[in-house]
Amino acid sequence: MKMRNSKLLTRKDLLATFWRSFTAEWAWNYERQMNLGYAYSMVPALQKIYHHQKDQLIKAYQRHLEFFNVTPWLVTFPLGISIAMEEQNALNDDFDVATINDIKVALMGPLSGIGDSFFWGTLRVIATGIGTSLALQGNILGPLLFLLIFNVPAILARYYGLWIGYNIGSSFVEKIQKTGLMDKLSYGASVLGLAVVGAMVATMVTVKMPFKIGSGSDATSLQGIFDGIVPKILPLLFTLFIYWLDKKGWKAQWILLLIAGIGIAGAGLGILG
Amino acid sequence: MGSLIFTSIILALIAMLGNGEYFLGSSMLSRPLVMCTLTGLALGNVRQGIIIGASLELAFVGSFSIGASIPPEIISGSVLGTAFAIGQHNSTAVALTLGIPIASLVLIVKNLCFIFILPYFVHKADAYAAQGDGKKMGRMNLLGGFLAVNLPIGLVVGLSYLFGSSAVKALLAVIPAFIIKGLQVATGLLPAFGFAMLMKIMINKNNATFFILGFAIAVYMKVPVTGVAILGACLALILTGYSSFHGKKVVTQTSNDDNAAAKEDIDYEDEEF
Repeated sequence: MKMRNSKLLTRKDLLATFWRSFTAEWAWNYERQMNLGYAYSMVPALQKIYHHQKDQLIKAYQRHLEFFNVTPWLVTFPLGISIAMEEQNALNDDFDVATINDIKVALMGPLSGIGDSFFWGTLRVIATGIGTSLALQGNILGPLLFLLIFNVPAILARYYGLWIGYNIGSSFVEKIQKTGLMDKLSYGASVLGLAVVGAMVATMVTVKMPFKIGSGSDATSLQGIFDGIVPKILPLLFTLFIYWLDKKGWKAQWILLLIAGIGIAGAGLGILG
Repeated sequence: MGSLIFTSIILALIAMLGNGEYFLGSSMLSRPLVMCTLTGLALGNVRQGIIIGASLELAFVGSFSIGASIPPEIISGSVLGTAFAIGQHNSTAVALTLGIPIASLVLIVKNLCFIFILPYFVHKADAYAAQGDGKKMGRMNLLGGFLAVNLPIGLVVGLSYLFGSSAVKALLAVIPAFIIKGLQVATGLLPAFGFAMLMKIMINKNNATFFILGFAIAVYMKVPVTGVAILGACLALILTGYSSFHGKKVVTQTSNDDNAAAKEDIDYEDEEF
């Protein structure tokens, strides 16, 4: 990808940011979340931009140690924008420094909204679906494909995000918010993600009820009755039950314990098998 | 004894590689599918490791860090659960039974590190920034992640295996058969937990239909997950207007609107990343 003409930075400087951005979550902390990784990624560009202005450099370091968090694979996009804006700041005396962090903060929510639903909800679900279905048969392609399917798009997004962020700078943000593209992207990602989750509920949650009603040749299993209504309705209802418990505010550990309890009680009583 | 120590060290390194995901572009190395496979490889039973990985992956499919939430510590759960299960010539159910409580326990350890060790590095970075020392500030990112999170996880995993495997063996010998059977049933139920967590993040009244659609396609048409993903992607493109017909209309009376629509499309393509 081509780089916008720059007086201060070279392609190599931006590539340093690209590589450093891989560590964005390495020192993730409760207090300021991704701040150390973000500042670390900004260092090479900032050193070049404020080469002879130590007071400006210190302020820039401190700026980028502020609180920040975003879907990690998209971090290069705000990084690119920040670099473009820092560069503007160094070249223009009347640049409003506060806007640099304003833009970062404005990006956090919407960008994470798209990013989390796409990377966690869609891409990872697809990678997991394909990976586990192979791995359940003991096939080594399972974990390998899982990593490839996830990481190839993730690294491409990381790479191009940097150049797009740098080239278009802050005007980009205003533009996509006006055109409603942000909403469209997250809606489309959720459609795809949920369809896959629905299919995974049908194929990967197992609830079997071998318990029989009646006697002799008239006996029908509970499983048969439920499957007669809608096949796989038991996994669906069970998933919705867990969803409901979570909505009621149940803690994850308790839900996990309850599931283990249902399994043991069900097997002990012969209802589940 | 010598080989036990050796294995403990290898498992500690595997766990550290898993946590190294956050140094290597949040690349999913910490997922059970990867961790269990590597553990299986280290213990000489790759196939069993992959199969256990698939089951644990499904159980933990909803455990991931979005925003400020920290999921159960899946790395230690995966590595130790798999190691004990393979050491015991035992089933996936054993790995799950051990993996889930281990993951919750180690999360406590991890949180202690987050609360007591990592903040030191965050504040040290502030001090270096104030001196304008970008190199040392960046080093706090690298050291903080390593000393406060990565190394403790490696130590916990290595030491647990060193001291725990014989204790775990004794524990497993006294577990009654119906509990093991019940946990196998629970293994089938657990993916529901993950899917419920995913739904919580993604579902709203505008897209809930697509969850049902994905389920119905999988159940009635027997389409595998990958197929549903492809259908879902097409549907997302259609619904967000990417695949709609935007060619020239024969009737030219509202040419202004057409131009506006066409312009918007060009913008989308530029902004795709």
